[in-house]
Amino acid sequence: MSEAVNHSQFSDDQQRSLSCVLDQIIPPSADAKMPGAGEIGLVAHIERAVHKTPDLRPTIADGLAAADGLAQSRGAQGFATLPEAQRSQVLEELSTTHPGFLPSLIFHTYVGYYQEPRIVAALGMETHPPYPKGFPMEPGDLSLLDVVKKRPKMFRAV
Amino acid sequence: MSEEAVDVLIVGAGAAGAAFAWSLAETRMNIVCLEQGGWMKQEDYPTAGVDWEMRRLGDFGMSPNSRGRKEDYPINDSESPIAISNFNAVGGSTILYAAHFPRFHPGDFKINTLDGVGDDWPVDYAQLAPYYDLNARMMGVAGLAGDPATPPHDFPLPPVPLGKVGETLAKGFNKLGWHWWPSDSAIATRDYEGRAKCINLGPCIMGCAQGAKGSTDVTYWPLAVRGGVEVRTQCRVREVTLGANGLADGVIYYDADGVERKQQAEIVVIACNGVGTPRLLLNSVSKEFPNGLANNSGLVGKNLMFHPYAMVNGVFDEPLEGYKGPTGCCLMSQEFYETDLSRGFVRGYTIETLRGNGPVSTALAGLGGDIPWGADHHREFANRFDRSAGMVVICEDLPEEHNRVTIDPDLVDSDGIPSPKVNYRLSENSRKMLDHSVARGTEILEAAGARDVSAQAPLQPAGWHLMGTTRMGTDPAKSVVNEWGRSHDVKNLFIIDGSIFVTAAAVNPTNTIQALTLYIADTIKKNLSNLFD
Repeated sequence: MSEAVNHSQFSDDQQRSLSCVLDQIIPPSADAKMPGAGEIGLVAHIERAVHKTPDLRPTIADGLAAADGLAQSRGAQGFATLPEAQRSQVLEELSTTHPGFLPSLIFHTYVGYYQEPRIVAALGMETHPPYPKGFPMEPGDLSLLDVVKKRPKMFRAV
Repeated sequence: MSEEAVDVLIVGAGAAGAAFAWSLAETRMNIVCLEQGGWMKQEDYPTAGVDWEMRRLGDFGMSPNSRGRKEDYPINDSESPIAISNFNAVGGSTILYAAHFPRFHPGDFKINTLDGVGDDWPVDYAQLAPYYDLNARMMGVAGLAGDPATPPHDFPLPPVPLGKVGETLAKGFNKLGWHWWPSDSAIATRDYEGRAKCINLGPCIMGCAQGAKGSTDVTYWPLAVRGGVEVRTQCRVREVTLGANGLADGVIYYDADGVERKQQAEIVVIACNGVGTPRLLLNSVSKEFPNGLANNSGLVGKNLMFHPYAMVNGVFDEPLEGYKGPTGCCLMSQEFYETDLSRGFVRGYTIETLRGNGPVSTALAGLGGDIPWGADHHREFANRFDRSAGMVVICEDLPEEHNRVTIDPDLVDSDGIPSPKVNYRLSENSRKMLDHSVARGTEILEAAGARDVSAQAPLQPAGWHLMGTTRMGTDPAKSVVNEWGRSHDVKNLFIIDGSIFVTAAAVNPTNTIQALTLYIADTIKKNLSNLFD
């Protein structure tokens, strides 16, 4: 999110394709209350994850290349210019040829998306971490216990 | 390198080591505790950052095998359906525990007499009751008196809030006519003894940034240190050594720089939990004890007990605010605690309800397909986020010698000390109990209005409670330590952690570990003049 990335993990073209893939994983909601994952710039989050776990890089880079290749076979210049209706189908096809690509991206997309303050706010939560403000709570209705209190001793005598 | 002898050397600064050190501090003996971890800093706990949910999969994870902390030692648990969970620091596993603090029932100490299974303990509830009371004051236990499922006891603090989750599930229990009660919780629900009150951060199981949870680094240890006990951190003990007189004469350990040191002691006390303690004894081999120190019975490492857990969750139509409040501590039920053979198994279980998850955990829990990627993502996420709640079920495990801790032939920790291996099989009795609990849990959730109920049993990462591997008893042929924790074979060696449990009961063990520790410490104090007779 606000953490700076020292260097980019992917080229501009890869980033464009990646952003479109992220928008397929979590697209904008129909009521427009929730934006797409690519739309909120989660590419930077994925790049941070790759920076932290370099083994992830070939999985994602190879998957993006394959996505671009499949898009080109359908007449587009790359995944980013593929008509919207065909994008999820291309990603489904990749699950066979590049089985690690989509699961890895889904995991990191879910993590990054639901940590993003804009998304947390859209869920109706406060955007700060739990500490130090915490959450107020009422004790709850302990009169619900009245029926339990009437029960006889339950534990066994020794 | 040898250091001046101390009177009492404690290995391990967790739940038991802390209570023991505090109790013995009043003797003004020279007491040192060696701990392989360090002091935690409250500001480093995950809930102070936006990435708090993900750190449960990283440096605040439950498994020492994946946490990536230097102070952890690897544990080969590949031959167990239940994985080991622990934490190594001042405070031990209380750093990550949920702070459930129920007591054993009187019958839990006498299950052979009552049900013809396991063995009776050499101590009973009446002996430990004053120590449960003392421990409640020291740890700061919240709860509500009057529970018909347990012997009467009071609490220094009011119970944790039920919240919407608790109220919703309580109505389910009431609809079925089943027992429930607010959880006994080691959580400061008011400012207490220098601890700020709980502000309902949520994930107690990743450490408490507020310091409201009763982990022993904020309860017993500050008082023990003030009383003169020295805690030496980042010190990992390799073995307990034996003197020419047949008594333990100290330990060999590696300090923070990896330098091998010898610490001599008049009394050695082991408090490393049900896996760490047998590991240390089995690594302490000598001419007199070729199969491990204090192991003439052959029982060191055997009779390992977990609590097999089930988890049952459901989805509700209304928001539950489940990300607020102590994750694990809410309410508990002991409707199915005592033996009823018509259920198809002996002994029983406790149900402990769970609050909900934050958004990241909700999304990741749906990775299996409940929350798909693509067009349906937002709809399914909204169906589950803040609408999921459920319970865990803690089943009583029975002691079986084939469930054991041994030394792995290949695995070592970062100091080169051989690591433990766990072999564990789930018994038929446990399987039947788990099945029964999942069925009852499903009924409860449905009675409370849940849909899409799902369950996991056994819960794989739930090896939180490690018991039985150096059991206590009066017969040296059938036990490792006597009725007050002293080794039958080595008269100045004491064991005070969950290893000495004879049976497991069906509740979280920390309260009983500490009550037993305080009892042992008092017995030692009363017998100081003839301790080694």
